[in-house]
Order: sequence, then C-alpha cells, then structure tokens
Amino acid sequence: MPELDPVIHQPVRLQIMAALSHLAPREQVDFTYLKTKLALTDGNLGAHLATIEQAGYIAIEKTFIARKPKTFVALTAAGRRAFAEHVAALTLILHPQHRS
Amino acid sequence: MQLSSEEAARALAAIQTSRDAMRSAIRAHRGHYHLWMWGLIWIAMAMLAEFRGPAGVRLFPWLSLGGVAGSFVLGFIQGSQIRMPVDKRFLGVLAAVIFFAALWPLVLRAPADNQAIFAYLGLVVMLCYIIAGIWFDTYLLWLGLVMTALILVGLFCFTGIFWWWIAVFGGGPLIATGFYVRYFWQ
Repeated sequence: MPELDPVIHQPVRLQIMAALSHLAPREQVDFTYLKTKLALTDGNLGAHLATIEQAGYIAIEKTFIARKPKTFVALTAAGRRAFAEHVAALTLILHPQHRS
Repeated sequence: MQLSSEEAARALAAIQTSRDAMRSAIRAHRGHYHLWMWGLIWIAMAMLAEFRGPAGVRLFPWLSLGGVAGSFVLGFIQGSQIRMPVDKRFLGVLAAVIFFAALWPLVLRAPADNQAIFAYLGLVVMLCYIIAGIWFDTYLLWLGLVMTALILVGLFCFTGIFWWWIAVFGGGPLIATGFYVRYFWQ
C-alpha cells in the first residue's frame, strides 16, 4: 500500500520533486535555472534541497563552468521511487476504489 | 499522515503545475536549435554546389566549421541549465566511428566526385545520429535512418538533381524534425 511521505509532502518540496521527476534519469538541472522555473528564492530553494538531500532523494553536484561555480541537482533512484509512491498515495485518497 | 480528498487534489494539481513548468523548460533544451542550424547549412551547401559548382564546394569546410562552432556554443549555453553528464563510452564510440570513417576513403582509394563525398560525409553524420538515438533520444534514431535512405536514393536515383534533392530532402527533414522536437516531442 503506497504511503504519503512527510519529506515530500511539504508544498515547496513537492514542487521541487515534481519538477525534478520530469527530468530523464541521468539529467541534472542548474540551481539558478530551477529557482527561476519554480519562482523561489535562493534561500528557500537551498534550504528545501538540503532537507530532500538528507533524505537521499536528490544528488547535488557542485562544479565550475567557465570558472564560475555551478550547482546541479538531480533526482536519485530512491527519490524517483519515493515520489512515485507519494503520488500513488495521493491518487488513492482521491480514488479509494482503486485500492486493491 | 492523514489528508482529505480536497488536500490530495490540491497536491496533485500542484504537482501537475510543476511538471508542466519543467516540461516546457526541457523542450527548450532539446536539439531543435542544432537541427535548424544544420538544416540551413545543408541547404546552403547544396545551393552553393548547384549554382557555383566547384568554387561553391570549396566553401563546404568553412560552413561545416561554422556549424561545429555554433553547435559547441549552443551546447555550452544549454548545458549550463539542464545537462546530462557525458558518458565516456558514448564519446569513445563516436571517436571510433569518426576515425574509421576517415580511414575508409584512404583504404579504398576510390575516386570520388563532389556528390559522392557529400553523401559519404552525410552518411557518417547520420551514423552518429543513429548511435546517439540508440543511446539517448529515439527521435535521432529515426531521423538518422530516414535521412540515410534519402541520401542514398538521391545519390543513386537522382544524380541530375542531386543538390536540389539534398536541399529539399536533406536540409528539409533536419529543419522539420527541429520543429517536431520543439513543439510535439514529449
């Protein structure tokens, strides 16, 4: 039976996980680009990413591109599974007749 | 955790909004700019060969170099937003294909005209598309297969109008695929 995940359920983290889940398995998105797409602030996005990273749902890679520091974020396999389970749990609340 | 059906519906709607935002962002990072640019370059090459003959063909390497430089710039800009870490095995396969493709004309010592050289280079590029399609994104696989067939048909069946053929059925499909990838590919 799929269960709701308190780490994912917080609205901003839900937004982040939903956006990242749309990337291909090995794709990564730039921190600044993600911040713009989700209309979040640096501090807000950074704090929530740290929480999700602690849960092992995302991987954060810091690198340099043209001598400028860049942070890339990607969903881990565990994150992809946890998000899918969370969505399944939400769907079951809406459609309890799908419960087997 | 306990949620009401209204809260669950709100959460699912928020997920959908976020996914839509990312979907449009990913679409902007597909290969359509590369396809449009190379489609125009193929058309320019074919028209130069058609109307300026050997003098036009001598400009091919410069157009190709411009295209490669453009692809690098585009790749750099796009890779700084959404990227996929480069698979070294993929780069190795591409390097091997290009190395052997450069060897074959030397080994065969075949006299070749401009049409055959263009078709040969085009086929090598399409082989790279097919490999990239198998590795990453299937639209490149299909584009590579269709373009390979079109190049061969043009070379063997439409020699008299080969350069027009390449402009319409070489550059055209590249540009059309760019539009398809930009607006319809999921």
